[in-house]
Amino acid sequence: RCAKKTRAHIKSNMQNALFLSLVLDEASLYLFNSNASQIYEVKAFDENYHSWFIGQSVQSDGRLLFVTPLDPLFLVLPYFLKATEQYWLVDQIMKDEDFPGCSTLLKCPRTLQSVHHIADEKEIGDQKFYKYSQEKTLLWLKKKVKQTVKALKSNNLNVGGGVQSSTFIRSKQAAEVTEEDYLRYAHGLLSDYLPGALSVELLKILGYSYFRKSYKPNINMIIYFPYKSCRKRKLTDKPVEAEEDYTKFNSDSKDKKSSKMTAAQKSLAKVDKSGMKNISAFFAPKNKGPS
Amino acid sequence: MAASGSVPHVRVDLSSLSNAPKEKLHLLPVRIECDGAAKVSQYFTPSIRREDESGGVTSSFRGRCLHGLDLDVPEGYIGMVLKEEAKPCAEDEERVVRVKSTFSALTCWNLETPPRPDDSAVKAMNWPTVAEAVHAPV
Repeated sequence: RCAKKTRAHIKSNMQNALFLSLVLDEASLYLFNSNASQIYEVKAFDENYHSWFIGQSVQSDGRLLFVTPLDPLFLVLPYFLKATEQYWLVDQIMKDEDFPGCSTLLKCPRTLQSVHHIADEKEIGDQKFYKYSQEKTLLWLKKKVKQTVKALKSNNLNVGGGVQSSTFIRSKQAAEVTEEDYLRYAHGLLSDYLPGALSVELLKILGYSYFRKSYKPNINMIIYFPYKSCRKRKLTDKPVEAEEDYTKFNSDSKDKKSSKMTAAQKSLAKVDKSGMKNISAFFAPKNKGPS
Repeated sequence: MAASGSVPHVRVDLSSLSNAPKEKLHLLPVRIECDGAAKVSQYFTPSIRREDESGGVTSSFRGRCLHGLDLDVPEGYIGMVLKEEAKPCAEDEERVVRVKSTFSALTCWNLETPPRPDDSAVKAMNWPTVAEAVHAPV
Protein backbone atom coordinates (compact mmCIF):
# COMPACT_ATOMS: atom_id res chain seq x y z
CA ARG A 1 0.00 0.00 0.00
CA CYS A 2 2.68 2.44 0.99
CA ALA A 3 4.95 1.52 -1.85
CA LYS A 4 6.35 4.54 -3.54
CA LYS A 5 6.10 4.00 -7.21
CA THR A 6 7.59 6.30 -9.70
CA ARG A 7 8.58 6.20 -13.26
CA ALA A 8 11.93 7.42 -14.27
CA HIS A 9 13.85 7.85 -17.42
CA ILE A 10 17.41 7.02 -16.80
CA LYS A 11 20.11 7.24 -19.36
CA SER A 12 20.80 3.80 -20.59
CA ASN A 13 24.55 4.13 -20.20
CA MET A 14 23.87 4.09 -16.50
CA GLN A 15 23.19 0.42 -16.63
CA ASN A 16 26.76 -0.45 -15.81
CA ALA A 17 26.47 1.36 -12.52
CA LEU A 18 25.36 -1.00 -9.85
CA PHE A 19 23.05 1.37 -8.19
CA LEU A 20 22.02 4.95 -8.11
CA SER A 21 21.38 6.95 -5.05
CA LEU A 22 18.44 9.19 -4.97
CA VAL A 23 19.50 11.80 -2.48
CA LEU A 24 16.57 13.34 -0.78
CA ASP A 25 16.87 16.42 1.24
CA GLU A 26 13.94 18.66 1.76
CA ALA A 27 14.99 21.13 -0.87
CA SER A 28 15.88 19.15 -3.90
CA LEU A 29 16.21 15.77 -5.40
CA TYR A 30 19.37 14.63 -7.07
CA LEU A 31 20.65 11.35 -8.12
CA PHE A 32 24.24 10.22 -7.99
CA ASN A 33 25.58 7.12 -9.60
CA SER A 34 27.42 4.71 -7.38
CA ASN A 35 30.73 6.54 -7.20
CA ALA A 36 29.23 10.03 -7.55
CA SER A 37 31.00 10.42 -10.89
CA GLN A 38 27.89 11.90 -12.45
CA ILE A 39 25.11 13.87 -10.88
CA TYR A 40 21.60 13.81 -12.25
CA GLU A 41 18.71 16.10 -11.81
CA VAL A 42 15.26 14.72 -11.23
CA LYS A 43 12.32 16.58 -12.68
CA ALA A 44 8.75 15.51 -12.63
CA PHE A 45 6.16 15.95 -15.31
CA ASP A 46 3.17 16.51 -13.15
CA GLU A 47 -0.23 17.53 -14.34
CA ASN A 48 -3.42 17.52 -12.38
CA TYR A 49 -5.85 14.74 -12.93
CA HIS A 50 -3.57 12.15 -14.39
CA SER A 51 -3.10 8.54 -13.41
CA TRP A 52 -1.36 5.54 -14.91
CA PHE A 53 -2.27 2.14 -16.14
CA ILE A 54 0.91 0.13 -15.74
CA GLY A 55 0.50 -3.34 -17.14
CA GLN A 56 -2.43 -4.81 -15.27
CA SER A 57 -2.48 -2.26 -12.50
CA VAL A 58 -3.61 1.26 -11.83
CA GLN A 59 -1.45 3.91 -10.21
CA SER A 60 -3.10 7.08 -8.96
CA ASP A 61 0.09 9.15 -9.00
CA GLY A 62 0.28 10.35 -12.58
CA ARG A 63 3.77 11.77 -12.40
CA LEU A 64 6.56 10.96 -14.78
CA LEU A 65 10.08 11.59 -13.54
CA PHE A 66 12.89 12.58 -15.84
CA VAL A 67 16.43 11.89 -14.76
CA THR A 68 18.93 13.89 -16.76
CA PRO A 69 22.62 14.72 -16.32
CA LEU A 70 23.33 17.84 -14.32
CA ASP A 71 26.33 20.12 -14.64
CA PRO A 72 27.78 20.07 -11.11
CA LEU A 73 29.11 23.59 -11.57
CA PHE A 74 25.59 24.92 -11.11
CA LEU A 75 25.52 23.33 -7.68
CA VAL A 76 28.93 24.55 -6.53
CA LEU A 77 28.38 28.04 -7.93
CA PRO A 78 26.42 29.31 -4.90
CA TYR A 79 29.37 28.37 -2.69
CA PHE A 80 31.96 29.91 -4.99
CA LEU A 81 29.99 33.15 -5.17
CA LYS A 82 31.13 33.77 -1.62
CA ALA A 83 34.78 33.02 -2.35
CA THR A 84 35.76 36.57 -3.12
CA GLU A 85 38.52 38.91 -1.93
CA GLN A 86 41.06 36.20 -1.39
CA TYR A 87 41.99 32.76 -2.65
CA TRP A 88 40.57 29.79 -0.83
CA LEU A 89 41.12 26.07 -0.74
CA VAL A 90 38.27 24.25 -2.37
CA ASP A 91 37.50 22.49 0.91
CA GLN A 92 37.11 25.88 2.58
CA ILE A 93 34.70 27.01 -0.11
CA MET A 94 32.63 23.87 -0.17
CA LYS A 95 31.84 23.93 3.49
CA ASP A 96 28.29 24.00 4.67
CA GLU A 97 27.52 23.19 8.25
CA ASP A 98 23.89 22.84 7.40
CA PHE A 99 24.56 20.48 4.56
CA PRO A 100 27.70 18.40 5.03
CA GLY A 101 26.72 16.39 1.97
CA CYS A 102 27.73 19.28 -0.26
CA SER A 103 31.33 18.05 -0.34
CA THR A 104 30.05 15.03 -2.28
CA LEU A 105 29.95 17.37 -5.25
CA LEU A 106 33.74 17.42 -5.21
CA LYS A 107 33.83 13.70 -5.79
CA CYS A 108 32.39 14.21 -9.20
CA PRO A 109 35.53 14.58 -11.34
CA ARG A 110 33.75 17.02 -13.60
CA THR A 111 33.46 19.51 -10.76
CA LEU A 112 37.17 20.16 -10.28
CA GLN A 113 37.89 19.76 -13.96
CA SER A 114 35.55 22.57 -14.84
CA VAL A 115 35.79 24.85 -11.82
CA HIS A 116 38.22 27.06 -13.76
CA HIS A 117 35.15 28.30 -15.63
CA ILE A 118 33.94 30.16 -12.56
CA ALA A 119 37.08 30.90 -10.55
CA ASP A 120 40.66 32.09 -10.81
CA GLU A 121 43.12 29.44 -9.83
CA LYS A 122 46.40 29.76 -8.00
CA GLU A 123 48.75 26.92 -7.31
CA ILE A 124 50.97 27.15 -4.28
CA GLY A 125 53.06 24.11 -3.63
CA ASP A 126 50.81 21.20 -4.37
CA GLN A 127 47.71 23.00 -3.28
CA LYS A 128 45.24 24.83 -5.45
CA PHE A 129 43.45 27.97 -4.34
CA TYR A 130 40.40 29.53 -5.91
CA LYS A 131 38.73 32.89 -6.10
CA TYR A 132 35.36 33.51 -7.72
CA SER A 133 35.47 35.36 -11.02
CA GLN A 134 32.26 36.84 -12.33
CA GLU A 135 33.93 37.65 -15.61
CA LYS A 136 34.85 34.01 -16.19
CA THR A 137 31.47 32.82 -14.98
CA LEU A 138 29.64 35.05 -17.43
CA LEU A 139 31.87 33.89 -20.24
CA TRP A 140 31.11 30.30 -19.30
CA LEU A 141 27.40 31.01 -19.17
CA LYS A 142 27.52 32.76 -22.52
CA LYS A 143 29.04 29.62 -24.03
CA LYS A 144 26.26 27.62 -22.40
CA VAL A 145 23.65 29.85 -23.98
CA LYS A 146 25.26 29.38 -27.40
CA GLN A 147 25.39 25.63 -26.91
CA THR A 148 21.75 25.53 -25.85
CA VAL A 149 20.62 27.68 -28.77
CA LYS A 150 22.44 25.35 -31.13
CA ALA A 151 20.65 22.32 -29.70
CA LEU A 152 17.26 24.03 -29.78
CA LYS A 153 17.79 24.87 -33.43
CA SER A 154 19.15 21.54 -34.53
CA ASN A 155 16.33 19.65 -32.82
CA ASN A 156 13.80 22.01 -34.28
CA LEU A 157 12.40 22.82 -30.88
CA ASN A 158 10.14 25.79 -31.07
CA VAL A 159 11.03 28.54 -28.71
CA GLY A 160 7.72 30.19 -29.43
CA GLY A 161 7.86 33.72 -30.85
CA GLY A 162 8.41 35.31 -27.48
CA VAL A 163 5.43 35.89 -25.33
CA GLN A 164 2.29 33.92 -25.56
CA SER A 165 3.21 30.96 -27.65
CA SER A 166 3.88 27.82 -25.72
CA THR A 167 7.34 26.44 -25.61
CA PHE A 168 8.79 23.11 -26.52
CA ILE A 169 6.70 22.75 -29.62
CA ARG A 170 8.08 21.11 -32.63
CA SER A 171 6.91 23.36 -35.33
CA LYS A 172 7.56 24.22 -38.90
CA GLN A 173 7.15 27.92 -38.34
CA ALA A 174 10.78 28.19 -37.34
CA ALA A 175 11.33 30.88 -39.92
CA GLU A 176 9.34 33.33 -37.84
CA VAL A 177 11.46 32.76 -34.78
CA THR A 178 14.21 35.29 -34.32
CA GLU A 179 17.70 34.82 -32.93
CA GLU A 180 16.60 36.85 -29.93
CA ASP A 181 13.82 34.36 -29.21
CA TYR A 182 16.35 31.58 -29.10
CA LEU A 183 18.77 33.52 -26.92
CA ARG A 184 16.09 34.57 -24.49
CA TYR A 185 14.71 31.10 -24.30
CA ALA A 186 18.14 29.59 -23.62
CA HIS A 187 18.77 32.34 -21.09
CA GLY A 188 15.53 31.41 -19.36
CA LEU A 189 16.51 27.76 -19.20
CA LEU A 190 19.90 28.61 -17.68
CA SER A 191 18.42 31.10 -15.26
CA ASP A 192 16.74 28.19 -13.53
CA TYR A 193 20.12 27.37 -12.11
CA LEU A 194 21.37 30.86 -11.38
CA PRO A 195 20.91 33.45 -8.68
CA GLY A 196 18.84 36.37 -9.95
CA ALA A 197 21.68 38.89 -10.10
CA LEU A 198 23.79 36.63 -12.28
CA SER A 199 20.85 35.95 -14.54
CA VAL A 200 20.46 39.70 -15.09
CA GLU A 201 24.18 40.10 -15.82
CA LEU A 202 24.05 37.26 -18.29
CA LEU A 203 21.22 38.86 -20.20
CA LYS A 204 23.19 42.10 -20.27
CA ILE A 205 26.23 40.53 -21.88
CA LEU A 206 23.93 38.85 -24.37
CA GLY A 207 22.92 42.38 -25.27
CA TYR A 208 19.31 42.42 -24.11
CA SER A 209 17.40 44.37 -21.57
CA TYR A 210 15.48 42.60 -18.92
CA PHE A 211 12.11 44.04 -19.60
CA ARG A 212 10.78 42.10 -22.46
CA LYS A 213 8.81 39.15 -21.35
CA SER A 214 11.12 36.28 -21.98
CA TYR A 215 10.78 32.54 -21.98
CA LYS A 216 7.39 31.75 -20.66
CA PRO A 217 7.28 28.02 -20.49
CA ASN A 218 3.93 26.51 -20.79
CA ILE A 219 5.16 23.17 -19.72
CA ASN A 220 3.70 21.86 -16.58
CA MET A 221 6.82 20.48 -15.06
CA ILE A 222 7.75 20.54 -11.47
CA ILE A 223 11.36 21.16 -10.75
CA TYR A 224 13.42 19.87 -7.96
CA PHE A 225 15.19 23.12 -8.04
CA PRO A 226 18.82 23.26 -7.11
CA TYR A 227 19.63 26.82 -6.33
CA LYS A 228 16.73 28.88 -5.15
CA SER A 229 15.23 26.33 -2.90
CA CYS A 230 18.62 25.91 -1.26
CA ARG A 231 18.55 29.54 -0.36
CA LYS A 232 15.00 29.60 0.78
CA ARG A 233 15.24 26.53 2.86
CA LYS A 234 18.26 25.70 4.85
CA LEU A 235 19.58 22.34 4.01
CA THR A 236 20.04 20.17 6.96
CA ASP A 237 21.03 16.66 7.69
CA LYS A 238 18.71 16.43 10.64
CA PRO A 239 15.16 15.28 10.40
CA VAL A 240 13.09 18.36 9.92
CA GLU A 241 9.74 19.13 11.39
CA ALA A 242 7.32 20.22 8.74
CA GLU A 243 6.09 23.76 9.09
CA GLU A 244 2.85 22.75 7.53
CA ASP A 245 1.27 19.38 7.40
CA TYR A 246 2.43 18.52 3.94
CA THR A 247 1.53 14.94 4.54
CA LYS A 248 -2.10 15.71 3.96
CA PHE A 249 -1.26 16.01 0.29
CA ASN A 250 0.54 12.76 0.33
CA SER A 251 -1.79 10.07 -0.71
CA ASP A 252 0.30 7.38 0.86
CA SER A 253 0.40 8.77 4.32
CA LYS A 254 -2.96 7.59 5.47
CA ASP A 255 -1.96 7.60 9.10
CA LYS A 256 -1.64 11.24 9.77
CA LYS A 257 -0.42 10.93 13.32
CA SER A 258 2.75 12.26 11.84
CA SER A 259 4.93 11.60 14.86
CA LYS A 260 5.09 8.06 13.58
CA MET A 261 6.67 9.15 10.34
CA THR A 262 10.23 8.27 9.67
CA ALA A 263 12.77 10.92 8.82
CA ALA A 264 12.79 9.65 5.30
CA GLN A 265 9.05 10.00 5.03
CA LYS A 266 9.24 13.49 6.38
CA SER A 267 11.83 14.37 3.84
CA LEU A 268 9.77 12.82 1.15
CA ALA A 269 6.75 14.77 2.18
CA LYS A 270 8.81 17.92 2.05
CA VAL A 271 10.41 17.09 -1.23
CA ASP A 272 7.02 16.48 -2.64
CA LYS A 273 5.62 19.82 -1.76
CA SER A 274 8.25 22.37 -0.86
CA GLY A 275 11.25 21.78 -3.03
CA MET A 276 9.21 21.42 -6.11
CA LYS A 277 7.70 24.26 -7.94
CA ASN A 278 5.79 24.66 -11.04
CA ILE A 279 8.29 25.71 -13.64
CA SER A 280 6.30 28.82 -14.51
CA ALA A 281 6.61 30.04 -10.96
CA PHE A 282 10.27 30.76 -11.52
CA PHE A 283 9.69 33.14 -14.30
CA ALA A 284 6.87 35.25 -13.07
CA PRO A 285 8.94 37.56 -10.86
CA LYS A 286 11.73 37.93 -13.37
CA ASN A 287 9.48 39.63 -15.82
CA LYS A 288 9.40 42.58 -13.53
CA GLY A 289 13.04 43.17 -14.17
CA PRO A 290 15.90 43.65 -11.75
CA SER A 291 15.07 45.16 -8.45
CA MET B 1 27.09 6.22 -1.41
CA ALA B 2 29.25 7.90 1.15
CA ALA B 3 29.35 11.49 2.20
CA SER B 4 25.69 12.21 2.02
CA GLY B 5 26.03 11.88 5.77
CA SER B 6 22.78 11.32 7.52
CA VAL B 7 20.71 12.90 4.78
CA PRO B 8 18.17 10.20 4.14
CA HIS B 9 18.55 8.82 0.71
CA VAL B 10 16.89 6.31 -1.47
CA ARG B 11 18.88 3.81 -3.41
CA VAL B 12 17.70 2.72 -6.81
CA ASP B 13 18.73 -0.87 -7.16
CA LEU B 14 19.65 -1.23 -10.80
CA SER B 15 20.60 -4.88 -10.45
CA SER B 16 16.86 -5.52 -10.66
CA LEU B 17 16.80 -3.92 -14.09
CA SER B 18 17.87 -6.93 -16.15
CA ASN B 19 15.03 -9.14 -14.93
CA ALA B 20 12.38 -6.47 -15.10
CA PRO B 21 9.60 -7.25 -17.56
CA LYS B 22 8.36 -4.78 -20.13
CA GLU B 23 4.94 -3.33 -19.51
CA LYS B 24 2.45 -1.23 -21.45
CA LEU B 25 1.88 2.19 -19.97
CA HIS B 26 -1.11 4.45 -20.41
CA LEU B 27 -1.17 7.98 -19.08
CA LEU B 28 -4.83 8.75 -18.47
CA PRO B 29 -6.35 12.23 -18.32
CA VAL B 30 -8.25 11.40 -15.14
CA ARG B 31 -7.37 10.98 -11.52
CA ILE B 32 -8.12 7.46 -10.36
CA GLU B 33 -8.04 7.30 -6.61
CA CYS B 34 -6.82 3.78 -6.48
CA ASP B 35 -3.57 1.86 -6.51
CA GLY B 36 -3.45 -1.78 -7.28
CA ALA B 37 -4.51 -4.45 -9.70
CA ALA B 38 -6.84 -3.49 -12.53
CA LYS B 39 -8.25 -5.49 -15.39
CA VAL B 40 -6.65 -3.29 -18.00
CA SER B 41 -6.34 -5.90 -20.72
CA GLN B 42 -9.89 -7.06 -20.13
CA TYR B 43 -11.71 -3.75 -20.12
CA PHE B 44 -9.45 -1.02 -21.50
CA THR B 45 -7.10 -2.47 -24.10
CA PRO B 46 -9.86 -4.08 -26.24
CA SER B 47 -11.47 -0.69 -26.86
CA ILE B 48 -8.30 0.81 -28.35
CA ARG B 49 -8.63 1.55 -32.05
CA ARG B 50 -5.74 2.64 -34.20
CA GLU B 51 -6.85 5.70 -36.16
CA ASP B 52 -4.06 6.27 -38.61
CA GLU B 53 -0.37 5.68 -39.13
CA SER B 54 0.72 8.75 -37.19
CA GLY B 55 0.31 6.89 -33.92
CA GLY B 56 -3.14 8.29 -33.14
CA VAL B 57 -5.46 5.98 -31.25
CA THR B 58 -8.90 6.19 -29.71
CA SER B 59 -10.45 4.38 -26.83
CA SER B 60 -13.05 4.87 -24.19
CA PHE B 61 -12.95 4.89 -20.44
CA ARG B 62 -16.07 4.94 -18.27
CA GLY B 63 -18.12 5.90 -21.29
CA ARG B 64 -15.93 8.84 -22.27
CA CYS B 65 -14.10 8.93 -25.57
CA LEU B 66 -10.34 9.18 -25.29
CA HIS B 67 -7.83 10.21 -27.93
CA GLY B 68 -4.35 8.90 -27.53
CA LEU B 69 -0.89 9.19 -28.97
CA ASP B 70 2.00 6.75 -28.66
CA LEU B 71 5.09 8.47 -27.32
CA ASP B 72 8.50 6.89 -27.44
CA VAL B 73 10.85 7.23 -24.53
CA PRO B 74 13.53 9.68 -25.73
CA GLU B 75 16.49 8.14 -27.47
CA GLY B 76 19.26 7.07 -25.12
CA TYR B 77 16.83 6.74 -22.23
CA ILE B 78 14.90 3.89 -20.76
CA GLY B 79 11.63 4.02 -18.93
CA MET B 80 11.49 2.35 -15.54
CA VAL B 81 8.72 1.75 -13.08
CA LEU B 82 10.22 1.89 -9.62
CA LYS B 83 8.72 0.38 -6.53
CA GLU B 84 9.69 0.40 -2.92
CA GLU B 85 8.99 -3.09 -1.70
CA ALA B 86 9.58 -2.69 2.00
CA LYS B 87 9.38 0.34 4.21
CA PRO B 88 12.45 0.79 6.36
CA CYS B 89 12.00 -0.02 10.04
CA ALA B 90 14.27 2.67 11.40
CA GLU B 91 14.42 6.35 10.54
CA ASP B 92 17.97 6.37 9.32
CA GLU B 93 17.71 3.13 7.44
CA GLU B 94 18.44 3.28 3.77
CA ARG B 95 15.44 3.02 1.52
CA VAL B 96 15.63 0.90 -1.57
CA VAL B 97 13.50 1.05 -4.66
CA ARG B 98 13.69 -1.66 -7.28
CA VAL B 99 12.92 -1.67 -10.94
CA LYS B 100 9.52 -3.30 -11.23
CA SER B 101 9.22 -3.05 -14.97
CA THR B 102 10.52 -1.11 -17.94
CA PHE B 103 8.94 0.62 -20.90
CA SER B 104 10.16 2.07 -24.16
CA ALA B 105 6.94 3.84 -25.08
CA LEU B 106 3.79 5.03 -23.44
CA THR B 107 0.38 6.05 -24.67
CA CYS B 108 -0.72 9.48 -23.64
CA TRP B 109 -4.51 9.97 -23.56
CA ASN B 110 -6.58 13.12 -23.82
CA LEU B 111 -10.26 13.77 -23.44
CA GLU B 112 -11.96 15.20 -26.52
CA THR B 113 -8.96 16.28 -28.61
CA PRO B 114 -6.05 14.15 -29.80
CA PRO B 115 -2.74 14.97 -28.08
CA ARG B 116 -0.96 17.68 -30.03
CA PRO B 117 2.69 18.65 -30.13
CA ASP B 118 2.06 21.47 -27.69
CA ASP B 119 0.43 19.27 -25.07
CA SER B 120 2.59 19.27 -22.01
CA ALA B 121 3.04 15.50 -21.91
CA VAL B 122 4.21 15.50 -25.50
CA LYS B 123 6.47 18.47 -24.88
CA ALA B 124 7.91 16.91 -21.77
CA MET B 125 9.49 14.24 -23.93
CA ASN B 126 11.78 16.93 -25.33
CA TRP B 127 13.12 17.80 -21.93
CA PRO B 128 16.10 15.37 -22.02
CA THR B 129 17.34 16.94 -25.27
CA VAL B 130 17.09 20.41 -23.81
CA ALA B 131 18.60 19.39 -20.49
CA GLU B 132 21.57 17.79 -22.17
CA ALA B 133 22.32 20.99 -24.04
CA VAL B 134 22.09 23.05 -20.87
CA HIS B 135 24.24 20.71 -18.82
CA ALA B 136 26.86 19.51 -21.29
CA PRO B 137 30.37 20.79 -20.59
CA VAL B 138 31.32 23.80 -22.71
